[in-house]
Amino acid sequence: MASPSWEEFADLALRRIKASGAEYGDIRIQRSTTESILGEDRRIASIRSIEDSGFGVRVLYHGAWGFAASSILSLEEVPRVADLAVEIARGSASIAVEKVRLAEEPIHCDRIVTPVRIDPATVPLDQKTSLLLNAMEALHGRRGIVRSTAEVWWRRDRKHFESTEGSVLDCDLLAAHGAISSTALHEGRFATRSCNTPHLRKGYELIEEAALLQEAPRVADQAFEKVTAPAVENGQYDMVLDSEHLSLTMHESCGHPTELDRVLGYEANYAGTSFLTTDKLGSFRFGSPHVTLVADNTEPETLAATGYDDDGVACQRWDIVRDGLFVGYCTNREVASKIGEQRSRGSNRADGWGSMPIVRIANIGLAPGTATLDQLIAGVKRGIYIEGQGSYSIDQRRYNFQFGGDAFWLIENGKRTHMLRDVIYHGITPEFWNSCDGVADRTFRRRYGFITCGKGQPAQSGWMTHAASPARFRNAQVIRGEGRS
Amino acid sequence: MSGGNATRWPKMTGRDEFRFLADLVLTKSLGDDTMVTLHDLHSGTARFANNQVVQNVDTRRGTLAVTVAFGRRHGTASTTDFTAGSIQETLAQAEHIARISPEEPEYLPPPEPQPFEVRETARPETMAAGPIRRLEYANEAISHCRMENLMAAGIVSSSASSVGVAANNGLFGYEARADARFSLTVQAGDATGWSAAAHRSVDHLKIQERTLAAIDKAKRSRDPIELPAGPYPVLLEPAAVAGLWTWLMWSLDAKSYDKGVSPFAGKLGGRIVDERLMLRNVPRHADLFGVGFTAEGLPSVPSTWIDRGVLTQLAHDRFTAKIHGVKDIPTLEAPELSVEGAASGLVQDLIKRTDRAILVTNFWYIRTVNPSDLTLTGMTRDGTFLVEKGEIVSAVKNFRFHDSPLRAFQHIDAATAPMEAVTSETGKMLVPAMVLPQFNFSSVTRF
Repeated sequence: MASPSWEEFADLALRRIKASGAEYGDIRIQRSTTESILGEDRRIASIRSIEDSGFGVRVLYHGAWGFAASSILSLEEVPRVADLAVEIARGSASIAVEKVRLAEEPIHCDRIVTPVRIDPATVPLDQKTSLLLNAMEALHGRRGIVRSTAEVWWRRDRKHFESTEGSVLDCDLLAAHGAISSTALHEGRFATRSCNTPHLRKGYELIEEAALLQEAPRVADQAFEKVTAPAVENGQYDMVLDSEHLSLTMHESCGHPTELDRVLGYEANYAGTSFLTTDKLGSFRFGSPHVTLVADNTEPETLAATGYDDDGVACQRWDIVRDGLFVGYCTNREVASKIGEQRSRGSNRADGWGSMPIVRIANIGLAPGTATLDQLIAGVKRGIYIEGQGSYSIDQRRYNFQFGGDAFWLIENGKRTHMLRDVIYHGITPEFWNSCDGVADRTFRRRYGFITCGKGQPAQSGWMTHAASPARFRNAQVIRGEGRS
Repeated sequence: MSGGNATRWPKMTGRDEFRFLADLVLTKSLGDDTMVTLHDLHSGTARFANNQVVQNVDTRRGTLAVTVAFGRRHGTASTTDFTAGSIQETLAQAEHIARISPEEPEYLPPPEPQPFEVRETARPETMAAGPIRRLEYANEAISHCRMENLMAAGIVSSSASSVGVAANNGLFGYEARADARFSLTVQAGDATGWSAAAHRSVDHLKIQERTLAAIDKAKRSRDPIELPAGPYPVLLEPAAVAGLWTWLMWSLDAKSYDKGVSPFAGKLGGRIVDERLMLRNVPRHADLFGVGFTAEGLPSVPSTWIDRGVLTQLAHDRFTAKIHGVKDIPTLEAPELSVEGAASGLVQDLIKRTDRAILVTNFWYIRTVNPSDLTLTGMTRDGTFLVEKGEIVSAVKNFRFHDSPLRAFQHIDAATAPMEAVTSETGKMLVPAMVLPQFNFSSVTRF
């Protein structure tokens, strides 16, 4: 006997949920295929192929949630898990005070597929391993390099979503990534320089376009230049930050504080809350007039552009900060209604079939300005230009942050001069964004994806993309990232 | 909840079932070496915030991974589908990868078979705990907070897992493991207090005791004063000590050491911290999460990593262990940090003996600033206080720190005996509360 289809399994679960008297239920059946090739110090350290499949059932009963999931997709397991989700929801309802009310959403029936030019599954494995081995060889061929890494990764998610409201959504999504890094040793110190393709919803063409092999000599040379560079002196500096660096700064200081579930206390025990409380919506001066942050879950190739979120809400585009003014949150159907919004922003995502979806940062990006990168640097008398991501940390309300970077150059009298090492800057989020006095134009815009954004208990890894053009910030507090600065 | 049919989960993969699944792979593999690992996890969490349940989840996920090697060419494939057809496909995929992967100079065949020590990793009371028990515990914590007109946010979780490793050279290990966790953040307006527990036994979570501790912290955290950043004496509670030491332990990698890119480079056999500090792996300890064997198929054994301040071990994989001639590879899944000759007693006793210090309940978002000297940064969280003349005199606004544990723990002024410590970002340890003469706070936040 042929195994039932995913649609038939979904129907089986939803019938039981409806019969229970629950006001809402949904099922996500998912199969994820991942290939990860890791190189380390001129060798391929591991090649892994991972098949992860299962289903999760979510039930809202008398205003309270229950969720159950299993990796066993069978005619016995699906009804048992659906019943368990109902029982758990009944338990939650027994001590509920404020009932969950879902914001309205039209019924959707759709299929979303990532357009791919080169399916990474069809690229011969030895082509990928040769690329990584050659890239590491090129890294080690340069002065001072003692360690290297190289990586190719891709994941394909096939997902079927159905809800008791009637939405039926199928997704076939792909994401890929590649990276190299080299570590240089000099006089007992060491420093690493890296080069990443952004994580994007593209095929193997993403890896080819990144030209990792051609980039390797530059990456290695800059690692050595970095480790031999003078350490930064503590003090105030103007900063020009590149797109990759800004993607992390935005993620931590703009993305997380605008997740409405955090604002409402859902994450108080783990990821934290937010200084962007609901009384600030529409009135708080988050940044300077140069700062417009747009959430866009509709932009092709970005990680959060999945067509629909795991509430079955269509992906959207909206403003988070407009001309410096805080104007929007990332929401799901549960929390949107708590602040009187009629519709969810569609930012509710789970990291797989075994997790309950939670509010996630959208694809938040910094809107381009009008300058060129050279013009931004030309306007700095004494400052630092930072590329890439390094050390990062931020408090649980997203006020006090500290960032490093992957590479640093001293700017003197409008010119980028030599590299520096051990640069760390810290600040308070709204003060920092209010010090922004210039953003480069659209031709400088780059996108960087995140796949390890930690949030939730049990912990989940969120996916999103942040785009920016380089931007300039005045009078940042810089300390030397070594010793007791 | 009825506790009826829906709560009876399929039986976890047992020893005999794992042997059957492993044989299914091992008898059909064409590889020179074949290794099978099992991780079958049934876990659940009741999550609450604003004094009510916001998530209540229960998940079963079984994963079987197959590694095949032809000579020094190896590949790994895994699946969550335990049907015979899927397992054969997984084996075929691992063989396919292995055939076309390049030779791996560091590859080693599976470890030789050996008996693994039987540890008390499976606690029946935890294995049996389901959504009802978790909800009862969550409700207990919430009720205490409601009575005080405070807000509770936290989790109660429990899990049962079956873990196995088998290879075609006869290696075989199987272990059932249990895990239970509780953590709670109490909000008193803008002030917060926190407490957490983790144990193999769900009966040892001490919900009431931990809840009252978090409530006390939250109440004391009201009306914080702002102190300037700078170096201060600190009284670090066990969770704060564990946060810093976890990063130290993560940096003990032997390969980085050999390449000279380790904060410990050249320091093996030398003193790296206060000469009274001892760091051991104690896998038999009932309050720690010791195991019988590792995912590589190696036994977990008691070991000493730091002996009276001297670094005596590095974290090896099997390749670096071979290079270094290390026969019994030390593990560190059940760490205990202690101070030789430390007075016994509680945090309260340390407070009474302290003239002036910042008391830190916990650190948050600890990250490496400089791997060369293990400079770290992070924030204080959920209970930061000024201690003067043996008393907590005020809450203080949270600090960001910028310091290295290799500097901070060079000298310890006072310490308790090891106590249970668990944080949201790290595993569980037994560590003392400690008073350090100087710790560097580099900035202050707004709350």
